[in-house]
Amino acid sequence: MLFGRTQKNPIKLAEHGAVEWKYATCGYCSTGCVIEVGLDAEGRAVASRGVADADVNRGKLCVKGLVEHRLFESAGRGLYPMKRKHWSDPWERTTWDDAFTELHDGIRRTQAKYGRDAIAVISTGQMLTEEFYTLGKLTRGLIGTNTYDGNTTLCMASAVSGYKRSFGSDGPPGCYDDFSHTNCLIAWGSNLPEQHPIIYYRLKDAQEKRYFPLIVVDPRYTALAQNADIYLPITPGTDVVLQNAMMHVIFKEELEDKRYIEANTNGIDELRAEVAKYDPTTASKICGINEETIRVVARLFAKANPGMCIWTMGINQSTHGSDGVVGINNLCLITGNVGKPGGSPLSITGQCNAMGTREWSSASGLPNYRLLEYEKDRIDIGKFWNVDPEFFPKKVGPKQTDIYQVMEAGKVKGMWLIATNPMSSLPNTARVRKAMEQLEFCCVQDCYTDTESAQYATLYFPGGTWAEKNGVMTNTERRINVVNPVVKCPGEAHPDLWIFNRAAERFNTEGKVPFPEKAADIFLEMREISRGRLSDITGMSHELLEKYRGIQWPYTEAQAASGERPPKGGVRLYTKDATFRYPDGRAKLIPLPFIVNYEVPDDEYPFWLNTGRLVEHWHGRTKTGKIGNNNKFSPIPFIEMNPDAAEEMGIRDGEYVRLVSRRSDAVAMAKLTQRVRKNMVFLPFHFHDCANRLTIANLDPYSRQPAYKQSAVRIERIANQREAAILSKEMRKF
Amino acid sequence: MFKRREYEPDYACLTDQPSKSHNRWGQSIETVPPDDPRRGQSLNINGDGWVSDNPNRYKQHGFFFNADNCIACHACEAACSEKNLNPPHHAFRSVGFVEGGSFPNVVRMNVSLACNHCDDPACLKGCPTRAYTKFAEYGAVLQDPDICFGCGYCTWVCPYNAPQLDPVKGVVSKCNMCVDRLEVGLKPACVAACVGRALDFGVVENVPEGRILAQVAVPGFPLPDITHPNTRFQQLRSLPRDMRRVDSMPIKYHRDDDSGAYVPMLDPKYGFERHWSLKKLLGSHENSHIAFTLTAQLAAGAFALLAALGTVLDPLRALHGSAMWLPSLFAMFVLLMFGMTKLNLHLGRPHRFYRGYYGLRYSPVAKEIFGVTVFTVGLSGYLALAVVRAFGADVVSWLGLGGYILTAWFAHPLMTVAEYLWALVGLLGIAYGGFYMIRLYRIKARPYWNHWHTDASFVGSALSLGALLPLAVALPFGLVTEPLVQVLAGASALGLALEGAALIAHARDLRDAKSEGAASFYIQTTKFGYPYLLRNGLLAAALLLALGLVVVPGAGLWLLLPLFALAVMQSILGRALFFAAVIPTTMPGSFFWRNPGFVEHARDIGLADMPQVGVAYEHHHHFKIGELLETVRNTTPREIWAQTKRVFTG
Repeated sequence: MLFGRTQKNPIKLAEHGAVEWKYATCGYCSTGCVIEVGLDAEGRAVASRGVADADVNRGKLCVKGLVEHRLFESAGRGLYPMKRKHWSDPWERTTWDDAFTELHDGIRRTQAKYGRDAIAVISTGQMLTEEFYTLGKLTRGLIGTNTYDGNTTLCMASAVSGYKRSFGSDGPPGCYDDFSHTNCLIAWGSNLPEQHPIIYYRLKDAQEKRYFPLIVVDPRYTALAQNADIYLPITPGTDVVLQNAMMHVIFKEELEDKRYIEANTNGIDELRAEVAKYDPTTASKICGINEETIRVVARLFAKANPGMCIWTMGINQSTHGSDGVVGINNLCLITGNVGKPGGSPLSITGQCNAMGTREWSSASGLPNYRLLEYEKDRIDIGKFWNVDPEFFPKKVGPKQTDIYQVMEAGKVKGMWLIATNPMSSLPNTARVRKAMEQLEFCCVQDCYTDTESAQYATLYFPGGTWAEKNGVMTNTERRINVVNPVVKCPGEAHPDLWIFNRAAERFNTEGKVPFPEKAADIFLEMREISRGRLSDITGMSHELLEKYRGIQWPYTEAQAASGERPPKGGVRLYTKDATFRYPDGRAKLIPLPFIVNYEVPDDEYPFWLNTGRLVEHWHGRTKTGKIGNNNKFSPIPFIEMNPDAAEEMGIRDGEYVRLVSRRSDAVAMAKLTQRVRKNMVFLPFHFHDCANRLTIANLDPYSRQPAYKQSAVRIERIANQREAAILSKEMRKF
Repeated sequence: MFKRREYEPDYACLTDQPSKSHNRWGQSIETVPPDDPRRGQSLNINGDGWVSDNPNRYKQHGFFFNADNCIACHACEAACSEKNLNPPHHAFRSVGFVEGGSFPNVVRMNVSLACNHCDDPACLKGCPTRAYTKFAEYGAVLQDPDICFGCGYCTWVCPYNAPQLDPVKGVVSKCNMCVDRLEVGLKPACVAACVGRALDFGVVENVPEGRILAQVAVPGFPLPDITHPNTRFQQLRSLPRDMRRVDSMPIKYHRDDDSGAYVPMLDPKYGFERHWSLKKLLGSHENSHIAFTLTAQLAAGAFALLAALGTVLDPLRALHGSAMWLPSLFAMFVLLMFGMTKLNLHLGRPHRFYRGYYGLRYSPVAKEIFGVTVFTVGLSGYLALAVVRAFGADVVSWLGLGGYILTAWFAHPLMTVAEYLWALVGLLGIAYGGFYMIRLYRIKARPYWNHWHTDASFVGSALSLGALLPLAVALPFGLVTEPLVQVLAGASALGLALEGAALIAHARDLRDAKSEGAASFYIQTTKFGYPYLLRNGLLAAALLLALGLVVVPGAGLWLLLPLFALAVMQSILGRALFFAAVIPTTMPGSFFWRNPGFVEHARDIGLADMPQVGVAYEHHHHFKIGELLETVRNTTPREIWAQTKRVFTG
């Protein structure tokens, strides 16, 4: 063997020099991976690694988590509060004290002039649960606006609404451990390898240990579709038709679980009547899946026992989003696949703490799945917070998407925008821009100063990010886990919790509403509100969460007191008959008629526009666009375009094209791939001034979630490629 | 010593399984015999003298990649870059895509590759500085950036782009197999990070649990017979007949039904229009190679003609000692120095130039450098002697030293013997250096160069340009005679004819080659289509003119001027094409990362100004004289002696 050198030199390898590791939960998606951040001798965050004995990720991290410590020193962080009279003025630096005065006066001035609900508070799924809870208390209990929502309306609202309609409450019944028990998994519009890589790892690991068939329903040939046993290239928007047709087959061949239906559901007759109209022959012409395949898949799922469904934005971001979720629930209910090991409808959530905001932010009601519409809930919380229950509205207010429509009409004149960036993330951003232009007061609270929405702010609060803060998050499988402050916020930035508490002091002048300062103390307060409810967390504390690497709810004080250790995983909901959250304990089977109420390609706009995520990016790229080892895998906006379509139009790989919809236009680089059908383009939504210039603000009637996944565009060749390249570059600073 | 955590998951830990004794090419998997003194030594990682007790330490290890499972999630790449603290534009491991079929019957195959730690590492053999070592421990091929001078030759010869030249730092670095993790029983960082259950690691030829095959290639992986790589694959999913690259390379991989292997073929993605692309052609970082090869060949050709043929051919002999003699030798010397300086300054660490001899034992680059150095010494001696003979007597008398130095010595026959000796030194240098200058471009991983066209081009340039230099210098002195024109234009025509014949054969052989050569030919005739045509036209015109002058040498001396111009222009264009159109056998890139088209675009448009785009500009590096002086000061004579010895012993 050739060794090359007779004299071996010593080996030098790079060392990050971490001397201490601190525990946190990842701040990107909803998987809930547990991370340790390594600190060097000077206390700088220098490394990230997965916690090996955490059941969620078992030591693994995705491309974002592996470099997450680089966030702390990323470009564009806000270092001090700033204000200005009008958004067109230059910023001037100010003190926190003055900034809070500005916030208080701005909110009260707007409310005095235009009414109580003329101030919007819009938050996010990105903060920690104690922060949501405190903000909810401040907004519902002291500010008193009913124009309060979060960006979760853009990602999870349809799942929430679908769960509520079917089961009487939000709350995903399944968990990751189901992959180890299921005999059939259907993934509806969910591309785990790209969107939730570590959940995919759990799936793949389980499947390699014990095979089960994987069926993927997606209009695009995704990484998950490639790994599927059966791939259903569905026509966009027609999930409900496929679901109805599958149920048609199940009923026709008597494959349903009659005992389970009898003991657990209402509405079977209405459902049977509706799905009778969807024989596979008729359905196949609408949804694009041939009738034999529909039958095969329906039988496979019905006979699997247990069979499982997961879904993500392919279902949720649609005018039939909530219906699609109900359809999945229907399928699971009639086959007895709810709350069983390996049998559940498990919504794969979006943001790291989307679940936390669903449970605790009060945006969709009151804490812990309480509703403003229920008097008892208003009284309970009023008592707990020491707020007059009559101060609460009796009906929940508009969702984020509706708030913007009201704002555009000049009915909302002030806004407190927290850790979200609607200028990039809402559909049809031309209208979002108009809505924000006319605001008289706008406070943007964010860890970055360079979010596009900040251009319309008159007040800026620099918040902390991720593990600069302390608190908990809830993941897709209802696991609560803790984030420890690993490093300090830069400059004068402060954790959002600190900001909310200081802001509350300005509104809480009589001091009658308690606002605990520390996250761990707030958690104790939340525990009390959860006692005896579906999401009971009375057995947990920050210390126990870290000790057990996160605990799935429910985990009660009684369980803890009896010495019952929280299980590593595998906690499910509705495991016993008739334990659903409707008063009679039964789930509803809801018939789903199908109408085409979304934009469909035509001669003028002949391509489906499908938007979605890339594994290396997060949301509007304010984080990942600045971290080289994320950003470099897709540094500029691009479309996936079918090579046959491109050839007909004379478009070559790597050329910039102009996309035109009925709303506006956008420039992106064409990347040719057969992963998309000939009449579809896929456009990642991460890039500012791109995808959402084109998307349509059609909303789901129940969840008010936008139909990002169904709109129509045409594609135009660009003659001057250089100009297009420079334009594309100019349109974003990172 | 790498710090193991209290709890490490099974997937991250090496297992001690029985292994085979020999790999599929008959190479022993035990790297050294049981009682070899190389066993039991510390790897001295970061100054730690600890010796690992890993039971398989002296077995060849390698990566195992299940191509069916890879989801291109980039976790392996990020884990690797974090472990090695690489900046965004630089990475040891990359994932590329190849794709085939049509919707919805599509296969996108993702390939994650770092280094194959080959049995026969081309990088190690190619490196002129001896920066590479294959360790008996794990069979790891490691490279030391502190030795490297940044010539990038290893990146040319490796068929898999494992070694990476960092354009910012100016040195190469590469996958180090995470030997620090292996020492404590852990698999490399990329393997531990794999999300899709695709990447694994262990003693080579061992098939991991749950896998049934150990193949040596997948579509897109260059042929394994060049270096005997130690990566094994499992790829069972049926693939379409054509798998195309998604990056800008005009290549697809086509299934050969007999062998089942996928061979590279042309994929004419950008049509067949001709372009000039002159900026790309002449403005690249490779233009120092154009300057060096042409000037060195010109000087070598001219020297060989004058110093060797000048002793036998009358028209040339007549020039000896004439007014053009010294200027000709000076011109050769100046041109050679210019080329060498240009080449040296293109190095990432030009002040480490002296390390170019370290790899004399294996590296064709070191051998070429050695040969060119010998030629330089010969030429310099020959030139110095000519100067002494021309001016020695005059200088002595001018200084009034006539009583002390016998001026007669300057005319002594021994002086002629000395001249022959210097000529011999120069010619030996030309033969040795020239041979290895050709050899170093005959790289299996670069089919465009691995053709006798390279030999012909280099010899042809030496003849065509080398013959014209004496003519060009003689012209203003009025020393150009008809016989001289016949001899030298003849030599030039011979060189041009050789180049022309090679060009025809090259085009014929490349056009339909089942290799990246076909893609090179495509680039040459489309992206560089007009320069290619122009060059061929210039070559033909130069050849006709040169032949014309051989036949009718008295046709008019003014015809020499267009001949000079045509020959020089065709040589520069030809050599520029030689460097610009070469397409190495590379691993496929992805949409943006490791996509040569995007890299070029990002540099053109200024996206590369943002470091997080992951593209760095190429630029020249300073000759740090201070660093060189420090090395001189801090190196003891003993070390110099030891280093010199190792030039020959390895």
